[in-house]
Amino acid sequence: MQFNPCLKHKLIRATTRNFAETQLAPIAAEIDQNRIFPHDAINKMKELNYFGLQAPKQYGGAALDSISAAIVVEEISRVCAAVGLCVTVHNGVAVYPLLQFASEAQKEKYLPKLASGSVIGAFSLTEANAGSDAGSVEMTAVKNGKDFVLNGTKIFVTNGGVCDVALIFALTSLPEKNLQSSVFIVESQLPGFLRGELEDLCGMRANPVSSLFLEDCRVPEDNLLGRLGDGMKIGLATLDNGRIGVAAQALGIAQGAMEAAVKYAKERQQFKKPIASQQTIQNYIADMATEIMAARLLLYRACELKDSGAAFGCEASMSKLYCSSVASRVTGLAVQIHGGYGYSKEYDVERYFRDAKVTEIYEGTSEIQRMVIARAILSQPIM
Amino acid sequence: MLNIVVCIKQVPMVTELPWDEKSATLRRDLAAGMMNPACKHAVEAALQMKEKHGAVVTVLTMGPPVAEEVLREALAMGVDGGLLISDRLLAGSDTYATSFILAEAVRKACPQFDLILCGAYTSDSETAQVGPQMAEELNLPAAAYAENLEINGRTLRVRRLVDNFRETLEMEFPALVTVSMEKYSPRYASFRGLEEAFSDRDIFVFNAQDLGITPENLAGHGSRTKVRKVFIRKAQKQNVMITGAAASAAGEFLDRYQGMISAAIGKSIESKKKAVE
Repeated sequence: MQFNPCLKHKLIRATTRNFAETQLAPIAAEIDQNRIFPHDAINKMKELNYFGLQAPKQYGGAALDSISAAIVVEEISRVCAAVGLCVTVHNGVAVYPLLQFASEAQKEKYLPKLASGSVIGAFSLTEANAGSDAGSVEMTAVKNGKDFVLNGTKIFVTNGGVCDVALIFALTSLPEKNLQSSVFIVESQLPGFLRGELEDLCGMRANPVSSLFLEDCRVPEDNLLGRLGDGMKIGLATLDNGRIGVAAQALGIAQGAMEAAVKYAKERQQFKKPIASQQTIQNYIADMATEIMAARLLLYRACELKDSGAAFGCEASMSKLYCSSVASRVTGLAVQIHGGYGYSKEYDVERYFRDAKVTEIYEGTSEIQRMVIARAILSQPIM
Repeated sequence: MLNIVVCIKQVPMVTELPWDEKSATLRRDLAAGMMNPACKHAVEAALQMKEKHGAVVTVLTMGPPVAEEVLREALAMGVDGGLLISDRLLAGSDTYATSFILAEAVRKACPQFDLILCGAYTSDSETAQVGPQMAEELNLPAAAYAENLEINGRTLRVRRLVDNFRETLEMEFPALVTVSMEKYSPRYASFRGLEEAFSDRDIFVFNAQDLGITPENLAGHGSRTKVRKVFIRKAQKQNVMITGAAASAAGEFLDRYQGMISAAIGKSIESKKKAVE
């Protein structure tokens, strides 16, 4: 059991922090306000392997361990959560399922491009009537010759506006079975692949979240991921991994908000002394720091479990549940410490506060995480 | 092929340095470490020369075992080897002792060097002395605060900015140059580079004994600096209200602040005050 960061993890944190502070901090407020996807910064990140964090070296990735990858997402999100979202979705729920479930031919075709970032990935399960209830997907894929013809609408697709490849969940009919979902690797330049307008969201506004419309979109049968009917299996495994990424993102937002609040509390004078000398503010800071530390240890525990090859779904859900609720509480307190200024766009905590909320919603709501955790606990034999 | 040694230092990654006023030392345990910014520019200068002319680049640092971190970062940026000098005997060395120890390490580990680069100054102590002192120890031609380096055969042309003059110097290898932060904006290390810096590369660690440094010979080159006092300069904003009629208030304002305003804008505003009166 090892609770201290090793030299490599410290250096990965310092390197990412340096990049985030110099390249993202100066633009974070503006790209949030105007919903701009920062192509220049993203292009720099592509050269530094941000889009192939854990992809093996044979595909051009950096082959980082899971704690390193979490630290990268944490440090980017500490400064700009919307860019952190782009990175974690690409790595966690686009590259990861290909590594786990793709054929060798599919890996050869897609992973080098994804790992270099020349192709940006998205993961697309959610529909108007299917979110937490992943079994209610209505998108269909009908076999026609050597293709599947996809029809339907996906909503709230992270990276939707810029993705070059999307993993699309669709219903397929299986012989002797009911309709079951399958996953397709769908390239955005295919005829019939259309994007909706960018969503005007509360937070994460610099991420081009959009709908995807598939209208008689013919996808070659070679682009079926895994086997026909594997949709639920692939989806659940991918979400387990994605939850580690969202937890890391939430943790980074909390860390950024706390640092901003501490700085402000030391500077802001009321009653002729810094507000940091008030016990109430000190209590807030103590709670923030304690919860962030606990969240971080829980997250790294899930990462370590994942790298050991053990099942990590329950721990991933615990991390996601806890880190996201810490992010919401800490950003709320950070706004409170800033008082009226915290409610204005003059200070970053207002953005952190908006960005934090969705970490309790996407990649499985907190309610779904509790369901997953309770199921795992209740299925254990009684001692 | 050129043989370049870059001397780098790990410094605290903070905007306010955590000085311990009692012991007059930096509380390095309080802050994460990073490669000193000017040293990073020196590494970048070496890497650009490597890309242009071909070179073997070695980074060298002295510090506690965790200083290995900055060597790994330099490896990730693209240098070829890293050397760490770490020994309790050498702790607390001032610039005089440090330059002697670094010079000994270069003599032992990289005797074939053509060029030694250093950061022009460090963000924690800002003495800018180690590079030039090392050149004295090794009896090398040296230039400080270089903003541009050009190599032509065995000649190094150095452009530097000093006291608002830009001068160009030439020297023959072997030489020592300290690099400022005007140019050579350092590249970011890639994650692939970082991963490989830990998984595929070795750092060589020397203690005092390996370098032939004993308490006896260190005595002659030991630290000569005695820090008498360290204090943190305090800056405090203050709201000042000047009341009264506009003309007299303006006059009072100038009485109080004209010195500071003149200093800030770089010219006297004495005559302006008279005009107001």
